[in-house]
Amino acid sequence: MNKPSERAPVMPRIDVQFDGPHRQYEPGDRLGVEYRIEGCDGEPIRAIEHSVLWYTEGKGEEDLGVHFFRRTTDRSMMPPTKKTGAFSTALPLSPLTYEGVIVKVRWCVRVRLFFDASRDFVSEHVFVIGRIPPARLPPSRT
Amino acid sequence: MRLPRLYAKKRGHRRTGAREWGAFGDGLFHGILLAAGLFFGALLLSGVAAPEWRINHEFRESRGTVLAKGLARTTVVDPTGTVLSSWRPCLLLRYSVDETVQESWSHGPASQNTSDRAAALRRLAAWTLGAETICWYDPAAPQTVVLQRGYNWWLWLLSLLLPGALVLIGGSGLVRGLRAWGRSEEYRASSAGLSEMLDPLAQPALAAPGYPAVPVWDDLVNSPGTLLRYRLPIESPENWTLVGFGLFALLWNAVVVVLAVGAGLDLLGGRIDWWLFALLVPFLGVGIGGIVLFVRSLVFATAIGPTQLEISDHPLIPGRRYDVLLAQGGTGTFQTLTLTLELEEQATFRQGTDTRTEHLVVWKQPVAGFRDVTVAADARLENRASIEIPANAMHSFTSAHNTVRWRLVVRGSPTRWPAFCRTFPVVVFPPEAPVTSRPAAVVATHDGSGSAELSP
Repeated sequence: MNKPSERAPVMPRIDVQFDGPHRQYEPGDRLGVEYRIEGCDGEPIRAIEHSVLWYTEGKGEEDLGVHFFRRTTDRSMMPPTKKTGAFSTALPLSPLTYEGVIVKVRWCVRVRLFFDASRDFVSEHVFVIGRIPPARLPPSRT
Repeated sequence: MRLPRLYAKKRGHRRTGAREWGAFGDGLFHGILLAAGLFFGALLLSGVAAPEWRINHEFRESRGTVLAKGLARTTVVDPTGTVLSSWRPCLLLRYSVDETVQESWSHGPASQNTSDRAAALRRLAAWTLGAETICWYDPAAPQTVVLQRGYNWWLWLLSLLLPGALVLIGGSGLVRGLRAWGRSEEYRASSAGLSEMLDPLAQPALAAPGYPAVPVWDDLVNSPGTLLRYRLPIESPENWTLVGFGLFALLWNAVVVVLAVGAGLDLLGGRIDWWLFALLVPFLGVGIGGIVLFVRSLVFATAIGPTQLEISDHPLIPGRRYDVLLAQGGTGTFQTLTLTLELEEQATFRQGTDTRTEHLVVWKQPVAGFRDVTVAADARLENRASIEIPANAMHSFTSAHNTVRWRLVVRGSPTRWPAFCRTFPVVVFPPEAPVTSRPAAVVATHDGSGSAELSP
């Protein structure tokens, strides 16, 4: 039988359900999320972090703004005792999701699992705030 | 054991570095700085500060008789092989230590040494053989006697400032690294406070109250307009060029003056240092060039008259129309003069050891344009137009390294001067967002027992 440290690390799967259609929200809306954690195969989890945040993508360094954050260390609230969870938060008025040319702003829900074996696993689920169309370069540049 | 990878996931156009290696390098760098600060601090404290402190606090006072006097010479050979000598007056003293008589040459701190032997001799001549003087001896080593007490403040300052700066930079970097160790980026981002103090440069710009990542606009509405509500502040790249040329000319010519004074004193003393003169000629040429560039930029900046832009309201809301008033002063003819509304993306990124910023205009709309228009000193050009921010436009956005900004841009081509570009930033809010409303409470919780939420 293999020792725990020699085992291949488990690859959990986290399914997230948004309460909004097509993961589309308006500024100020209430975001509700339910998630289910699968595939931990008995590897002990010491903490779960839930966050709602925006980050930038593109040419610049990545910036990050956390709107909602909750860390849970109660083992009765996590696998194998409890495999599902939910949280909700009222979304802010800004920033809105933006698909620019060299600057993009994305919103996402992250569920991060911290295992006893000093590693973590993060699952990221993008959603959209607002209805800003993607930026296009002016005709003179194309 | 598998080592962490050098590169992690790819984001956009760039591949990000592995967090583990980054943290290791950051910790190593700051650890070396901290160790160097502690080492040099200990060296300076034990070699300079502690002996001086002991002289002032632990040495005992006595009266001594001057038996002999002389100059103590200290010789130092620098790395280029040059021998440097310095002199310090010292006296052979007879003094009493706990009812026993002690004879010893006086000691003194290295700061009393002088490279001017004649000055040291003059100081020595002030002492008379057989005279009595107050001296202080070390109770632990009575043969160590000094004639002066007091502190060298610049040495104390040096011993505190240099190692102190290293300890501060290295220590704060290490604390920052240790605070981040084992924590997710979401946890770090949500627990602000100490991190802002430890790394102020990495913090995002101030955001409008209730609108995260929308820049504040207070500075844009503090000037009333003459015809419309606000006069927008100008952001002119030419002004920064002017400041840059001015600073360069000032600093460079200060160096030239120092060199020229040295060369002049040599000439007056009957010596000619050909190396100094050879260095002075190209330095003088660059200095004159700097002054010419500065004066030229100053003439360009002042010769074209001032541009003013007024707006009927601010901040701007997508889907609404606003009046703008363009006013161009000065004299002369402009081949073209245009006003455009633009949306610009700005991204700051590191490339090797450089930090670069890329700008890209992703949307623009002409607002007003003129050809062959003449402006007189007593009649400035004034044009009223209206602008509309598209209903589904992106709002102004700012974070530490990324910006989306709206601006009104005036570009002109005068007949007698080079073309110019003057920018007037504006702030655009999210579409149809009520300006007076506040967003829902931002929640950040760190509970150890369950899932309670803390609302501010």
